[in-house]
This record gives sequence, structure tokens and C-alpha cells, in this order.
Amino acid sequence: MKTKALVTGAALLALCATMFSPLCVQAKEYILTGMKPNRLVLIDPAKRAIARIYTIPGGGSPAGIVTSPDGKTAYVTTNHMGSLVGIDLDSGKEVFHADFSDGDFADVSDGALRVRSFYGLEISPDGKELFVSESPVRLLRDEYKVEDTRIAVYRTDGGMAAEPVRLLPLPRRTTNIMMSTDGTKLYANSWDLYTLDPKDGKVLKVDKILNWQRKNFAPPGLFNVWNQFEQAHVFVTPYYTARTDTGSGKPPVPRTGLLTLDLKTGDFHMNEFEDSSAIMFSSVLSPVHHNEVYSVFKTLTKNDLEKNKVIKRVALPHPYYCVNISGDGREVYAAGAGNDIGVYSADTLRRIGEIKMPGGADLAGAWIRMVERP
Amino acid sequence: MKFMSWRIAAAAALMAAATICRCAPSQAGEALGAKVLEETCSRCHAALPSGGFERISEERKTPEGWELTISRMERFDHVTVSAAQEAAVVKWLADRQGLAPAEAAPFRYALERRPVVESPDDTDLAGMCASCHTYARIGLERRDKAEWLKLANMHLGQWPNIEYVATSRDREWWKLASTEIPAKLGAKWPLETKAWSEWKTHRHANLAGSWRVAGHRAGKGDYAGDLVIRPNGDDHYSITYKITYSDGTKSFGKGSAIVYTGYEWRGTVRLGKEKIHEVYALSADGNRLSGRWFRDGQDGIGADVVAVRGVDAIAGVEPRFIRSGQPSKLTIIGSGLKGTVQLGAGIVVDKVLSATPGAVTILATAAKDTPPGERAVAVGKAQSASALVVYDRVKAVEVEPGIAVARMGGNGGPIAPALCQFEAVAYTKTADGAPLRIGAMPAKWEVANFDETAAKDRDASFGGHIDRNGLFTPGLAGPNPKRGGYDNAANLSVKATMAEGGAAVEGAAHLYVAPQRWNDAPIR
Repeated sequence: MKTKALVTGAALLALCATMFSPLCVQAKEYILTGMKPNRLVLIDPAKRAIARIYTIPGGGSPAGIVTSPDGKTAYVTTNHMGSLVGIDLDSGKEVFHADFSDGDFADVSDGALRVRSFYGLEISPDGKELFVSESPVRLLRDEYKVEDTRIAVYRTDGGMAAEPVRLLPLPRRTTNIMMSTDGTKLYANSWDLYTLDPKDGKVLKVDKILNWQRKNFAPPGLFNVWNQFEQAHVFVTPYYTARTDTGSGKPPVPRTGLLTLDLKTGDFHMNEFEDSSAIMFSSVLSPVHHNEVYSVFKTLTKNDLEKNKVIKRVALPHPYYCVNISGDGREVYAAGAGNDIGVYSADTLRRIGEIKMPGGADLAGAWIRMVERP
Repeated sequence: MKFMSWRIAAAAALMAAATICRCAPSQAGEALGAKVLEETCSRCHAALPSGGFERISEERKTPEGWELTISRMERFDHVTVSAAQEAAVVKWLADRQGLAPAEAAPFRYALERRPVVESPDDTDLAGMCASCHTYARIGLERRDKAEWLKLANMHLGQWPNIEYVATSRDREWWKLASTEIPAKLGAKWPLETKAWSEWKTHRHANLAGSWRVAGHRAGKGDYAGDLVIRPNGDDHYSITYKITYSDGTKSFGKGSAIVYTGYEWRGTVRLGKEKIHEVYALSADGNRLSGRWFRDGQDGIGADVVAVRGVDAIAGVEPRFIRSGQPSKLTIIGSGLKGTVQLGAGIVVDKVLSATPGAVTILATAAKDTPPGERAVAVGKAQSASALVVYDRVKAVEVEPGIAVARMGGNGGPIAPALCQFEAVAYTKTADGAPLRIGAMPAKWEVANFDETAAKDRDASFGGHIDRNGLFTPGLAGPNPKRGGYDNAANLSVKATMAEGGAAVEGAAHLYVAPQRWNDAPIR
């Protein structure tokens, strides 16, 4: 195993050496994730090494991460889900800052709005607009008033005291916000999947998830907070339901399925593939083999979407929350929850490398994104 | 007459404060409590022309409930109060806006920190509220619909992740929390009730004097002794204990107690080497305290207690069971006991071994053919129903608590492990076949894997250990290198075995070894 890893590493190095040209340099693929306390980590997966660590000003730790189309800027929700911060990945400087709330609430100011963002973060394909989900509450003198959830839209050139350019209505309990590749639609993953108009938030379509009613099935449950679809442009996530026609006195049989949403076409599918035998937190689709899905938590599972079955499942050394994949579809990167990125062969699911965070820093709930940078 | 001053002071204070309650608070604390409300609370909660303060006057709670509120104001709203101010305002509010004894009665287990599995009587409320809190925490508050709605707003405003968590996200949480649930809560647990309007005029009893105590400490056994209560300001008392356990060990205790709302006794005592917290309820006549104490920081370890004063009062019988067909020594603990001992049908008092006003020890025999069952015990005019159980043999064992949670801790972390004290409780059957609880008896203890998954993960090896008295100590917190970096969480079966007539009788409890409780509250 060790020998093979070395061979693979040597092969990659050789590949890069032969292609050492300005073009090659421009197209290099990195992993971008976050760790406690409040740092971004840029990782060179080929070298199995950290390329750079960026300290984000302020408190908290990174949650959602999106990058500009040119791979130059990363936008991160942080400050205890209270701010969106843009970091220039070349200079390391903060180039964008938006605080969602009014003030810091050291004193109760009558009528101030306190806002937290729960997971939803997206950037438009042209890199001009940022979409953030918001849960606001009005702090009155002696009571709270919960306000409707919404999407705040910021311009990426909004500067260091950015204000939303528009607010869009958003169904409550939305986790992921995703944009179609042509930028004409926003998808909101809530109890159901809502297709929204990014201009005004108008609901264009609802694909049922929890409200999908089927005879002999429990309502599907789905909880996913990780956007990690930049390679294949298909959002894929595990969901759970149960067969209830098990006979009198017998408990329902839990079933696991995969939901896919094609961000190019809007095609939406849900399909169960097994009686639940492993918990899966999040998934990623191969950009090369469009039928292959990789999912993580305590196991790494490879599914065949066409055959609707598990191809292989291996135990992971510890839980990972999120997962991404190399552009060539050969390596799968398991991240979140612990203090390392596990590198797995997409073909065999063998662990072929790892990148440890300095000082055992916790990746926690930060997303893992793939970014192409010069 | 010496202790009458507090009533006069209370009456004066009440008139000055124009409050609704004729309860009897302390003068100094009274003034301080009112001052905190007027000077600190009123900064956000405006004084109402009719008396009282916005929001504050719309709620009733237990002392622990008010403590939670003050603590929340400190943590979230930048309020600063001293310990003395907090104590005074909690007392002030609990006295005037507390719960009637009948209102608190169904949920005392939460105040007493008993390890119980709740049985909520409303599945909608349980599904919305008791997925995070105990059902008791909600049942121990009284508000009208509009105020319950404000509480719902506070919840989602303060913890916006509520609607995302596993037990909420399957429903339109906020829609329910802002419509149906406040309406239901307002109807079920409203601000004004008959029970409260009757109780709030109840005069506080003066508890000073000599009391007799009978207790049962799980894992150790019965005890009996003396409680001396001395006044230390109105509704505040200094207390001392002298107790003797059934195994002969003695303990002395010294501490203090406060009585809230005319009946909610809260004591803190150094008993032997331990610091304990007492949560007792005072009877309406002011002559009987009953409840549970638990160890400071280890509420899984504690005792059931009854204390009585006056004449013709029984606190308990030690032991609380008698096996038919063989002479047994029994002690009836009480206050002002005099007269003939009667133990009910089929039980004969063979001999009175000793008799004082505080304890009567007898030798008694239950006839061999006496049907198993509970018996009333009487000493002269003093009576106690179901104070004694007659049994022929142990037919079953139940481990109490039947479902329990121990929590990992220590290992350099800030949270101590949370222990679980189990008891093996013997059962027999009545003549008609109904299970009859006899009482706690010694047993042999063992911890096993609960199921196949637990066996595969070797939970019994990592989860912790149980001692010969049924005290379970969980494993250390944090990742365990011997477990591949996973922690010592475990799914266990706690087994107790008793010998009966040459055969083994077994019972088992289900024990979860869970992570630390990082956020604790006076009512969970």
C-alpha cells in the first residue's frame, strides 16, 4: 500500500514536471476548507500538503465557503454565523465584509435586528453576487420578535461594510442554497426543494421531499448543509425514509436513498438504494463517471446511480462530515469533523493519503471546496 | 411571639408593594427583592400603572424557574446582579408568583432531580417542548397564550438553530410554535388558576422546632434521626441533623434552608463529608416535609426523605417490609408517638423492644398464611397508610431506575463524570397476581452489553464499572486511543441478582453512557 502511494505520488509529480508551463500553473487544483479558530486552509492535494493558511479577522470559525470563478477570492460565513467575509487568496487580505446584524448588541437597542445565517451560501456564476440565507430576530426592549427567513444578496464588490442589495423571501429551515449553472435559478433545500427566482425570490417550482407522500413509506428526512458540487455541477445528498408495510407489530424498515439535482438542467430525482446500514452525511458526484457517488460519515460509500446500488463501502478511521473529489475523478477527499483530510482512491476506496491540520486543528463543520488557482 | 415579627414585616411590605400575595417574606430580603425589580428589572420591563412589571407579572414559576430566568437575563441580556440580589429577587417572585402545591405536584420529580422517564399527557406539547427540555420544565410554568407566544419568540430568537435540529426539522416548527402551541399551553397552564388563587393567601408556617426524619438512601439503606430547625430570618432557617443508618453508621449535618411560596423547602447541608441539596415540599398544615436530597454535583445519588413534627406523626418504618412466617424487628420513626402499635391484618406485635416519642422498636411476626400486601401502621392515634409490606418470597427483581443515563467526564476536562446509583428492588405478587413492590434489598451487580452492537463495540469493557452497592461510575471523557479514537459511550444492561430460596432472581436496567452535559439548568 505504501509502495503504491509512493508510485502514485511520483507519477503525479512526473505529470506536473512534464507539463510545467504557464498553462499548467494556471490550472492547478486546490482544496479549500476551514479550521478552528477562524482560519482558511488551502491545500495542495498532489503534494498532500498545506499550501497556505489564512487567518480570518474576528471570532468564530468558518462554515460555508464559496470561491470566485477566477479562484482568487474566498467568501466565508463566520463570526458565529453572523458575518460574511471575503479573503483574497493571493494577498491573504480581507477584501469583503458584511455583518448580518445591526450592531453588536452590547446594549439592548430597541428594535435592532439580530441575524444568523444557517448554512445557505452561494455565489453567482459570474462572480458578481453572493446569496446568504438569514434567520432574523427583532430585539425589542423586553421581548424577541422572530422575523421571516430570507436571502440577503450582496454584490461581491460591496467592500468592507457591504449591505445587501436586495432581500428575497426564503422558506424557513432552508439549509443549502444552490444556483443553477446559468445563474437563472436558485434552489433552496428545505422541507421540500424550492426553485426560486434569484431576482425576487419568487417560487418557480416545488419538488417535494418531506411532503412526498407514498403509500407504505414514511416521509423522507434530509439534512445537508454542505455545498460540494462544483466538480460535476450536480447536488447529491443522502436522505432517509422507512418502509411501513412490514406487517403488524413489526417496526418500519429504514431505507437510505440519494437525491440528485442537476444544476445544469434542474432534473430532480430521489431513489432509495438500500435498507439503511450506514449513516451517510453528505455526498459528491464524480465529474468523470456521472453515475458514481461518494458519501461519508463513519464509512465511505461508493454508489452506482444507474444500477441504484452500493458498489463498495469501507470503514473510515473516524467520522467525516463532508467530501469532495478531484477534477479528474481519481481522488476523493473526506473532510470535516476531525483534524485531517483523508485521501481515498475513487476506484478502490483505499486510503492513499492524508493531510493533517497543524496542531490538530478542528475542521469542524467547514465545507470542503475544490478551487482552481493560478 | 418571638417569631411573629416576620408576619408583621411581611404584611407591611406587602401593603407597600401593593402585591397580590399575603405570603410572608423576609424584611431585608423583601426590600432588596423589590429594589432589584424596581432598579434593575424595570430597565427593560416597564413598571405597570396597576403594579408589577411588563412580562414579569405575566408569569408564575417555581424558585428554580425564576432562577433560570434571572440567569438567562445575566447571560443574554447583560444584566448584572449580585448573588444576594439574585437570591432576594428569586424569593420575592417565587413567593408572589409561584405555583400552588397541587400545580407543582405532578412535576416534582424534575425539581428533585429524580432519574425518571417522563410520561407526558400531551403528545403535541411533548413533541415540541420535551424534545429538548423535560416536560416538567414547561409544566412548572404558568402563562397566558400571549406570554407563551413571547416565550416561543425568545426560543427561536435566541437559538435560531432550533428549527434545524433533528427533533424539530421534520415539522414546520415555527408555524406550530407560534400558533397552536401557545394556544394549547395557555389553555392547559394559564396564569390564573383556582389552585393558585386559593394557595396565594395561605399563611407561611414557622418551621422552627424539633423534627424527626426517616430517609432511604439508595445504595446505602434506611436512616432515621433528628432534624432541628432554627429561625434565621423569615422563611430562612439554620438546620442540624443527627441521623443513624440501618447499618449503624452515624452522620451529622449542618446547613441552611429557605422556604419559598410557603411550601417549597430548599436546603443545602453538609451531611457527613458530603454537600447535599434538599428539595422538599411542606404539607399544608406545616408539619410534614417530604422529598429528595441529592449530592452536590452528583444528583444521581440521593435519598427519599420524610420529616415530621408535633404529635401522633409517623415519618416511616424501618425496614419497610416484613417476611411472613418469621419474627422481624421493625422500628416506627415519628414524632409524639404514644400508644399501641398496630400493623394491620395478619401481623402480630410479639414484643415492644423500646418506645420513645420519636421511635418505637418492636418484634413482630406476620403469620405464614398472611396474604402479601401493603399494611397501614398505627401507633396510638398516629397512622400511616401503606407504610409496611408483607411478603412471602421474592418473586421478581426490578432495577431502579429502569432506564438511566450516566455521563462520561473527568480525564482533564472541566466536567466531572455523572454517576448512577442503582437499587435492586424486590417484588412479590399479591393473592390476585398483581406485582407488589417490597423494597430495596442487597444484590449482586453486573454490567453487560445491552445488545449485539454493544457487544461488537465492547461497550461493557469501556463504558464504566459498577460497585457492590450498585453505584455505576462511567468511563473517562474524550477520545479513547484503545477504542480507535472513539469515546467511551456505551449501551449497557445493569443486572442485579438476589438469592431466594436457593434460586437466583434477576432484574435488569438499561443504562446509556453518554457524553458530558455541557449545559445544565436548575430544571432540565
